[in-house]
Amino acid sequence: MSIAWENYQVGNAFDELVAPDGQPRPLARGLCDFISGLGAQELSGRAAAVDAAIMTAGITFTVYTEAGNIDRAWPFDVVPRIIARGEWERVAKGLKQRLAALNLFINDLYNEQRIIKDGVFPAEVLADSKNFRTACVGVTPRYGVWAHICGTDLVRHSDGQFYVLEDNLRVPSGVSYMLENRQLMKRLFPEAFARYHILPVDDYTAQLYDTLAALSPRPSQRPVIAVLTPGVFNSAYFEHSYLAQQMGAELVEGADLTVLEDDCVYMKTISGLERVDVIYRRIDDDFIDPEVFRADSTLGVPGLMRAWKKGNVGLANAPGSGVADDKVVYAFVPQMIKYYLGEEAILPNVPSYLCMYEKDRKYVLANLDKLVVKPANESGGYGMLIGPMSSAEEREKFAALIRDNPRNYMAQPTLSLSTAPTLCDEGLAPRHLDLRPFVLQSNKLNVTAGGLTRVALRKGSLVVNSSQGGGSKDTWIVEESQ
Amino acid sequence: MMLSRVAENLYWMTRYIERAEDTARLINAVTLMSLDMPSEVKLGWDALLKVAGVNERFFLRYDEANEADVMRFLIQDEDNPSSIMMCITMARENTRTFREVLPWELWEWVNELYLFAKHELPEHLERRQRYELLQGIIRRRQSIVGLLAGTMSRDDAFQFLRMGRNLERADMTSRILDASQAVILPTDSPAGPQLNDLLWMNILKSLSAYQMYRRHVSVHASSSQVIDFLLKNQQFPRSVSHCLGEIVDVVQTLPRSAAVLKVVGKVQDRLRQADGTQLAGHGLHAFIDEVQLGLIAINQAVRENYFRLQDLAQRQSSTEAAEAEE
Repeated sequence: MSIAWENYQVGNAFDELVAPDGQPRPLARGLCDFISGLGAQELSGRAAAVDAAIMTAGITFTVYTEAGNIDRAWPFDVVPRIIARGEWERVAKGLKQRLAALNLFINDLYNEQRIIKDGVFPAEVLADSKNFRTACVGVTPRYGVWAHICGTDLVRHSDGQFYVLEDNLRVPSGVSYMLENRQLMKRLFPEAFARYHILPVDDYTAQLYDTLAALSPRPSQRPVIAVLTPGVFNSAYFEHSYLAQQMGAELVEGADLTVLEDDCVYMKTISGLERVDVIYRRIDDDFIDPEVFRADSTLGVPGLMRAWKKGNVGLANAPGSGVADDKVVYAFVPQMIKYYLGEEAILPNVPSYLCMYEKDRKYVLANLDKLVVKPANESGGYGMLIGPMSSAEEREKFAALIRDNPRNYMAQPTLSLSTAPTLCDEGLAPRHLDLRPFVLQSNKLNVTAGGLTRVALRKGSLVVNSSQGGGSKDTWIVEESQ
Repeated sequence: MMLSRVAENLYWMTRYIERAEDTARLINAVTLMSLDMPSEVKLGWDALLKVAGVNERFFLRYDEANEADVMRFLIQDEDNPSSIMMCITMARENTRTFREVLPWELWEWVNELYLFAKHELPEHLERRQRYELLQGIIRRRQSIVGLLAGTMSRDDAFQFLRMGRNLERADMTSRILDASQAVILPTDSPAGPQLNDLLWMNILKSLSAYQMYRRHVSVHASSSQVIDFLLKNQQFPRSVSHCLGEIVDVVQTLPRSAAVLKVVGKVQDRLRQADGTQLAGHGLHAFIDEVQLGLIAINQAVRENYFRLQDLAQRQSSTEAAEAEE
């Protein structure tokens, strides 16, 4: 049975592959024809083969539940998402611009705080920031760069424009799934690749290696790089292990490292102690050094901050980077770009209402049923109110939370996330998506070709987080002259 | 470069998985042996518990050792850390923590062994099914050994796997030899000597050593010759001497090996002095105790030398600091 695209119901949202009239978009024509040609049965058969491949390869993430931690296979949708190269280049430029400005901002906050003195950024936002680390004041890491690895969440609204939803500057995850998704697609749909010129994504690990290597305090020799993981029970452990393996770096836990009196970091190996030059840490600030942050942390390394401040070890991302990973600070990024770079933001923010401002707060409280309310410092989609889907009781609870601590909340209009055809029980149906490209910065700036497309597998759902029932798709950046 | 933690996990991963296989072999051999024994010979199922070193734990829960309870305890029981199921579970959990140093398929194979054990082992395992299922576990475990032998570089990770396997094997062989004491033979029975042969033949079988013994030593399984074979034979891969030789080979490839080599050397010396004929007369149990203490000392030395790193590189670090200042 072939697949008739006429039966595919495009909703009110922008669909990435199918135009409102039900015809495939020009760039998606080849893909849609290919899928129709396969037929429903073959498509389901290949989807099952993908699932089996994911299971045996153990591409998993951990979900925390009350009943214990469950290791789940990574849910993958076989229909890729297509973005034209020309459009992507503009987005990539915008992403680089954004990270460059954010890094200038972080460095400024921990040093002169010019942006506050010049009245562009309010001192009270900084004063209440949970992720501003006084221990980092006065430090300027190499190149002045703090956030070396950034995962920016983009959404495409019904106007067809990409908007920045948030900047993840602490320990963004998901890049290994982006890489694995491409491998799976190549194995299972090789014919589809013949129809397009698709930009490769697998240079990411080499770029990550270069980004990290550039932070080595001993540039004259081959740097010893370690990926610091909280351990096998972390939800992203698969990714930590994957990246270490791909870069030829050591995968270490806190207890594998020690800081000696010379304020250098060493790994405990069977040959004795071995000096570490750069640590890609996948542990939150709070836990990395019990001497400075949470004293009860057993995941970190006592003395790590000392070593970093002395310049004896590179840390990515630098401690304290999270100060800019705050949904209230987010609202000021367009101003930062203007202030530090003298440029207009290429990628727009989603309009944001900051509850700290009385006028905004009044508007938010009066329109809770229409807005998405987010706490300033949560990640993974936790602690949010999605107005149009909320109950009166939930709205009341949030109103109280906002009045209690206005600085901690911001609100945005409910965006209509774009959709793409996704293989569901009822066949191909539109499901909402976002996109997380990964941006790297040390001595150079790099953006992945595309990124991780996350898809909300439940009908109508806007929540794409893997911890809450999201899946993913391969993302194709393709040349238009096909 | 090999992290101490990873080395330790590799070492324990193979110890667990070797223990699972050895226990499976032991159970199969003893089951067959029990069919051969005349009814007046008391084959204590508790002997099996002693061999596995879990008798105390068992009797916390049960008053007597009957076949069904002992089997369940040794095969499936999650309260017994040495049960086959728990060993496989621990091996799998360990494997997750060092996937980046091993051939990529290894995880899949270990995972497959785990899923097989988990799904195929029923709550009540009948004698009839037992043999086949345990063979299934042995075969899967052997294919993992084969995968490693065929696809893994002889790097430090490989050597730690090899060390764990051989230390566990030496341990099991010495325990099984000790178990020969546990079967009480009726000394006044006219069938005494014949039964004795039967017993030693089954000891060999439980280590999968019978055929090699027959080929290289004798068709008769006499106590002194079997003791010599299992303690001192250099060629049979489950003899204590062979395992220690493997450990020496491993340690020689590792850095800072002197301290560990010394400890292994002592146990080897002791084995060289052993005399099967004399031990068959009396003193086997005491001697095995000594061997066991030696194996514990080797484990301890490996642990101290490679896994629990003292800040012994203090000197090394200060030299590097000086370099950094230039």
